[in-house]
Amino acid sequence: MSDANSQPTPPAIPHSEPLPTGATSPKPVAPMNYTSLAGILEALLKQPGALLNELSGDRRGGIISRLIALILICGCIYGVVMGSLSGGTQLWAAPVKLTTGLFFSVLLCLPSLYIFLCLNGADVRLGQICGALLGMVALVTLLLIGFAPVAWIFSQSTDSVVVMGMLHLVFWIIGLWFGMRMIKGLLAYSESADHGHLKVWIIIFVLVSLQMTAVLRPLIGTAPTLLPTEKKFFIQHWFDNMNEKDRSR
Amino acid sequence: MPEPTSPTYFRRLKAICMGRVEEIIPILEDRSPRWGLFCAAVILVGCGLYGTSVGLWRSPLQSVYTGVKIPLLIFLTCAGNALLNGMLGQVLGSGLGFRQVSTVIILSFTTAACILGAFSPLAFFVLYNTPPLESLDGSTGHSITLVTHVVLIAYAGIMANYRLLALLRHFAPNRTTALTTLLAWLGGNLLLGTQLSWVLRPFIGSPSLPVEFLRAAPLRGNFFEALWAALQNLS
Repeated sequence: MSDANSQPTPPAIPHSEPLPTGATSPKPVAPMNYTSLAGILEALLKQPGALLNELSGDRRGGIISRLIALILICGCIYGVVMGSLSGGTQLWAAPVKLTTGLFFSVLLCLPSLYIFLCLNGADVRLGQICGALLGMVALVTLLLIGFAPVAWIFSQSTDSVVVMGMLHLVFWIIGLWFGMRMIKGLLAYSESADHGHLKVWIIIFVLVSLQMTAVLRPLIGTAPTLLPTEKKFFIQHWFDNMNEKDRSR
Repeated sequence: MPEPTSPTYFRRLKAICMGRVEEIIPILEDRSPRWGLFCAAVILVGCGLYGTSVGLWRSPLQSVYTGVKIPLLIFLTCAGNALLNGMLGQVLGSGLGFRQVSTVIILSFTTAACILGAFSPLAFFVLYNTPPLESLDGSTGHSITLVTHVVLIAYAGIMANYRLLALLRHFAPNRTTALTTLLAWLGGNLLLGTQLSWVLRPFIGSPSLPVEFLRAAPLRGNFFEALWAALQNLS
């Protein structure tokens, strides 16, 4: 496919493999430390390719547990920011719901990601895929932390649940855009050129994560009950919110 | 030659899903019943699990019934068309023997079962979010369930056949023969499969009809007559 016809893709993964003979690196890449949360955090941002490589080794278990911890911490922090629009119960409910939703999305989409990667011809192990998926979510939550001050300022200056919902949605989509490079890196790792099924899976993951906003509603704003009593698809839920006049915190 | 172990079978399964023709070819020569049973177990688990998500919208009992009926539909289609598919493979010059034809078709259904099994958590998630039968939006729920499963099953079916085509291209003398053979098999399987699915109905379960394993007089009528009647009703 020509570049002109191809869809825009997330930035390429910076990797730590040695350069070909004769090439000179402007700055030597320091080896990453995967034994601490800070090390994992740095690897996610700077060298996701090296992290993927590490997931195929013996230290996979430790890395996965740290990724889970990172998702918990970052998810809770951003959840508090989300809950700050309404305050009260939402200050603890939003972080709990956000992190729960993230882990449920991972669990629901992991089997299909494994099969889709197989269909793509990628020879990767389940543990590696699990690590990459958690890495993707961790990277998204990490980026959400970066957006947290902006989100907090807006949540303090508006009463509109719709405006805040749209803002959080935009941040989530931007985060996912960068997070997807972890998953795409799996294909690069296994030297698979076919990305067709992965694109389908990405759509599935986006839909599942968006549906979580309806399953765990209200994530922002208030409601008579902590969890919904009526089943709705996310589009219907969003339209209902937009049609409600004077919908505020 | 040592007897293949369970990890070997799972590696084979992965190779089949990945479409690694060079690894699949030796599998076609495995005549052991254990491998056949393993494939049958994969179809039973993958399609069975998916089937439970199909019927669960109607009722838990329908879920059990559909969980049994979808693998049964696949086994009956494979068995019923084994001879026809073998003959078509020979007549069309696919380069495959009778036993090999049956094996590649079973492998194709096994791929579909793997995909459907992987879709099961998503299918249950859709089900969780679908308006239940007793709600005001019950008919919407039925439509959502129907459309979702048609899309998911179609995707699994298309992918499984795409893999089968890749395998056929290896054995057939040219691409046209490979495609013709695949289309001939698909035609036969579609004809028997639709009628068997008619006999084994209901799968989702109509909201206005009782939950049953098979409808009364399951062999009466056929899918195409029903389709024709529905089209006449529309016009």
